[in-house]
Amino acid sequence: MTGMLAKSSAVRNEILMLILGFAALVGVAGASVWLVSKSDDFNRQVAVTLETKNEIVRTLSLTQDAETGQRGYLLTNEDRYLRPYRRAMEQIADHIRRLGELVAPEGPQRADFEALRAAVKVKFDELSETVGLSTSGKRDEALAIVMSDRGREAMQQVRQLVAQMTVREDRTLAERTDDAARLSNGLLAVVVLGLLIAGALAFVAQMLVRRQTRVLAAAQEELAQANQGLEAAVTERTSELLAANAEIQRFAYIVSHDLRAPLVNVMGFTSELDAARAVLKEQLDELTESVPDKIKPETREAVEVDLPEAIGFIRTSTSKMDRLINAILRLSREGRRVVTPESVSVSEMANGIAATLHQQTTAVGAEIVVDPAMPALVTDRLSIEQIFQNLIENAVKYLDPARPGRIEIRGRRIGPQVEYTIEDNGRGIDARDHERVFELFRRAGAQDKPGEGLGLAFVRASVRRLGGTISLTSEAGKGSSFHLTFPAVLRPQTETQAAA
Amino acid sequence: MSTSNQRPVVIVMIEDDEGHARLIEKNVRRAGVNNEIRHFADGTSALQFLRSSETTANGPLLILLDLNLPDMTGIDILTILKHHDRLKRAPVIVLTTTDDKVEIQRCYDLGCNVYITKPVDYDTFATAIRQLGLFLSVMQVPDA
Repeated sequence: MTGMLAKSSAVRNEILMLILGFAALVGVAGASVWLVSKSDDFNRQVAVTLETKNEIVRTLSLTQDAETGQRGYLLTNEDRYLRPYRRAMEQIADHIRRLGELVAPEGPQRADFEALRAAVKVKFDELSETVGLSTSGKRDEALAIVMSDRGREAMQQVRQLVAQMTVREDRTLAERTDDAARLSNGLLAVVVLGLLIAGALAFVAQMLVRRQTRVLAAAQEELAQANQGLEAAVTERTSELLAANAEIQRFAYIVSHDLRAPLVNVMGFTSELDAARAVLKEQLDELTESVPDKIKPETREAVEVDLPEAIGFIRTSTSKMDRLINAILRLSREGRRVVTPESVSVSEMANGIAATLHQQTTAVGAEIVVDPAMPALVTDRLSIEQIFQNLIENAVKYLDPARPGRIEIRGRRIGPQVEYTIEDNGRGIDARDHERVFELFRRAGAQDKPGEGLGLAFVRASVRRLGGTISLTSEAGKGSSFHLTFPAVLRPQTETQAAA
Repeated sequence: MSTSNQRPVVIVMIEDDEGHARLIEKNVRRAGVNNEIRHFADGTSALQFLRSSETTANGPLLILLDLNLPDMTGIDILTILKHHDRLKRAPVIVLTTTDDKVEIQRCYDLGCNVYITKPVDYDTFATAIRQLGLFLSVMQVPDA
């Protein structure tokens, strides 16, 4: 009881551990998913930073390109020197806009960006003004604007702002790269942790399975041992039972045998008494003729009435006792007979018995119906024949004269067993006599038929010897059914043990 | 016995039940057999008598044998008798309550001459004994 409780709580603990382990594994998996998406974010931010830096540098280089083109044109007045200027004029607006998108909406970088945009605008305004003047032939005015240093200052401002912004972006980049590295380290740690937990879980699970297997194996062994013990116990009991049975058989044989010897004397000397009485009677008759007065009537009565009566009772009692002893002897002899299993067609056998009873059945207008397809048996032919003979004869003997008799014999196979039923519509047996009818010298119902009360006792003893059982369902006034169950194949093994 | 030129046959009855012995004797006498009957109630004394030199030297014997004896079985006695040089020619009539076929068979195998079951029905028994008496009166018993 306590062992079972301990066992069940151990099982609960194991299940709890497994659940915790799996929960940890799920947690690790969730964390790594979160970390992966986070690191994705970081990578995107790094990319933004890199592009921002690129745009800043590009803004500077475009401004420088434009200035270079303006200077060349102002010097040479040749249109081909304007090419870098024109390209920068075309592209600068796009890059400024893109940079505006990339820079955070607030903070020092935004302020610097606004300043840069203004400075770039001042520079490009100055550049387009000077180029315009020079193109329309006012080269001197253009140079005067250049000399005013408005463009140079704007350019210086642009350079300074670009430098500031680049430094800031570099810093951000470094920070973000650090964060990403930390994050990927965390990811690695989480994955390693997950692997460790999974490994631990696998180890624990395997240990649990091993322990369970060990417990199971132990239980199995215990069971096998218990079974073995049980088998041994059964074998022992069986052999004890067989020995006891054999002992009873021997006892019955010896008792019945030894009972007969005194009976021979009782019967013999009763006859001697009768012979002596005959002598007395003869003498008495002679005396009656010669001296009738001398004979007392009591003497005559004793010789002619009392003695014959006493002798008669002694004789009937002894012959009854002799029949009973013979019955016991027959039972014990049947028990000592070695049964030899052989294949027996029960339908054929039952038909044979029905044929021998034909005269009796036709005399009372009864019929015996034998199922032609009853399963065959491997059993002792003589015993099974005696069993069916007794039961069918009984059925015929105890038919109810109030209705036409019908006796039905059928059989069916149930697994390794075969069941036969002998059913009649005879006078039936009262429920309280169902067990009694199988006892030796006991009979049920009206005692209007000859018999010693041996048939069913003999049948039951024989059925048991064939490894079978017999039972009875019956209702007084309706009919009886005797159910016989036998192993389909009788193994003679129990018999050799019984003989030993 | 009718054969006058021979010594009379001595009937040796080995029977432990006094009643049976008396009934057998009465019926044998009733059949007109007047030979000497020697009665022994156990196997040991019977064998002692049978083996004595006086007995073996003195005339023919007929043995009535019961199978159920207190000290040994009739089968044992039968075996001893049939292996004895002189006694083996003496006719043996087994008289017992057993009508077991196997046992009867064994008695005949061992050399018993007649087997009579003691029936409880006394008339049958008496008749059997009387017939046995008649049988004894006509049979020739060799000199043991």
